[in-house]
Amino acid sequence: MFGYIRPLKPELLVREYESYRAVYCSVCKVLGKRYGIFWRLALSYDSTFYAMLLFSLHGVCPGLEQKHCVANPLKKCVFCKSGLPQLQQAAALSVLLTVSKLQDDRMDHGKGKVLASFLIPLVGRSYRKAASDYPWMEVEVRRCVEQQVKAESQSDADLDTCAAPSAEMLARILEHESSGGSPISQTRVLRESGYYLGRWVYLMDAADDMERDTKSGDFNWFVKHFGLTQQSTDEEWSTAREQANGSLNLTMSRLCAAFNLLDLQSYSTILHNVIEKGLPDRQKQLLFKKEKK
Amino acid sequence: MSDPYQVLGVSPSASDEEVKTAYRNLAKKYHPDNYADSPLADLASEKMKEINEAYDSIMRMRKARAQGNPNSYGGPFQNSQGGYGYANPQPNSSSGFTDVRSFIINGRISDAEQILDGVPAENRNAEWYFLKGTVLYRRGQLEQASAYLGRACQIDPSNMEYRAALNQISTQRGGYYGGYNPTAYNSQSGLNQACGCCNDLICADACCECFGGNLIPCVGCR
Repeated sequence: MFGYIRPLKPELLVREYESYRAVYCSVCKVLGKRYGIFWRLALSYDSTFYAMLLFSLHGVCPGLEQKHCVANPLKKCVFCKSGLPQLQQAAALSVLLTVSKLQDDRMDHGKGKVLASFLIPLVGRSYRKAASDYPWMEVEVRRCVEQQVKAESQSDADLDTCAAPSAEMLARILEHESSGGSPISQTRVLRESGYYLGRWVYLMDAADDMERDTKSGDFNWFVKHFGLTQQSTDEEWSTAREQANGSLNLTMSRLCAAFNLLDLQSYSTILHNVIEKGLPDRQKQLLFKKEKK
Repeated sequence: MSDPYQVLGVSPSASDEEVKTAYRNLAKKYHPDNYADSPLADLASEKMKEINEAYDSIMRMRKARAQGNPNSYGGPFQNSQGGYGYANPQPNSSSGFTDVRSFIINGRISDAEQILDGVPAENRNAEWYFLKGTVLYRRGQLEQASAYLGRACQIDPSNMEYRAALNQISTQRGGYYGGYNPTAYNSQSGLNQACGCCNDLICADACCECFGGNLIPCVGCR
């Protein structure tokens, strides 16, 4: 994923921020232990959110403990005492999505391509490891990549078609958490929440990359739809940004409605902070506040 | 029934005002407007019922305990589908698509879509575009949904049902139900400017007073 799913820090209580940090650091530690030290670089806010959501849905509330930070041995960090299965699941998703992002980069132009072609042979083993631990998850990620290529190669693809693979992937990944004793209504809510969260991430990523993609010429629905080029005027840019923000808001309205119905058992205020405040703040920062290059 | 205080997320020692605020916030969260044409509308209305019942029972208990305080009970919000929101397509006797409407109401979206897609192009009227838009909205294909609803309004601008659906989408686009609204931010910063202006005046007044003058004379100083 892309690091868009993060909390709005000023609105968190200090203790909430501390438990958020603890999950963040624990995902990092698990990544390092299971996949090797370099995988710590793949740590993202998104996987932290996923780990917290898993804790919350399964009613796990791991205690905290102080330990040395591995990235910086002089610093002490707070870690989760338990909850390893959920942390490992979040780490695996992180690995699978990072590798699929690299594969996507390799097909694009620009700087990322060189780096991606260099890294892909090195990450194959970790990918297979994650895939054998969580085969169902790998199926979803792979399907998303395949569908994405197919959707973007259509000449007249609309925005919904382009966003569908990511939305569908997250819908299925969240839906997976309901298997077992939970009521059918919870399955529907999980699916709906995942769908709109995935859709929001796709739209946000595309909107965020508008400038870059006009230069590199990679596929970007907004660039194509609004006919943006490097010569576009400021007015054209701001129209495109406002339209993109409108699509994001439309998606947010459905996401908030679904998320409010989720049966969250722990970390509820932090998770609601991410959805209700963190995501809108990303829209604000990336579409209206970013340094215009 | 579960503990009404737990449902509202307040402690049993909370004041009436606190209970009312908690209730209002929850009622706003699960209001039918937020779930217009969402496949989760039924769950939201269940939740709304639960909240209403919890609020009613708390207020009843408190009233029984302390008779003679008539102001403590504000009455629950109306959980009706009416008002300004966009409700689900209603059964409509003059409709050419009664079967499609009933499929949508019962949540059988694929069946509804199948019938709609079978309609030949020359028979696709405003209502067809409206229903197709509704189906797409349910599915999460929000951009296409707005295009179809827009087309429905274009063909039949006087129809209030289509108009309400399109309005709902544009309010959602505006960030009213979540998301970010750049113009709301601007108006807020305008407010800040107004505050800043007052602050500046007060500072200037304080400076003047230091030097024996007075920029904002007040009663106490005279």
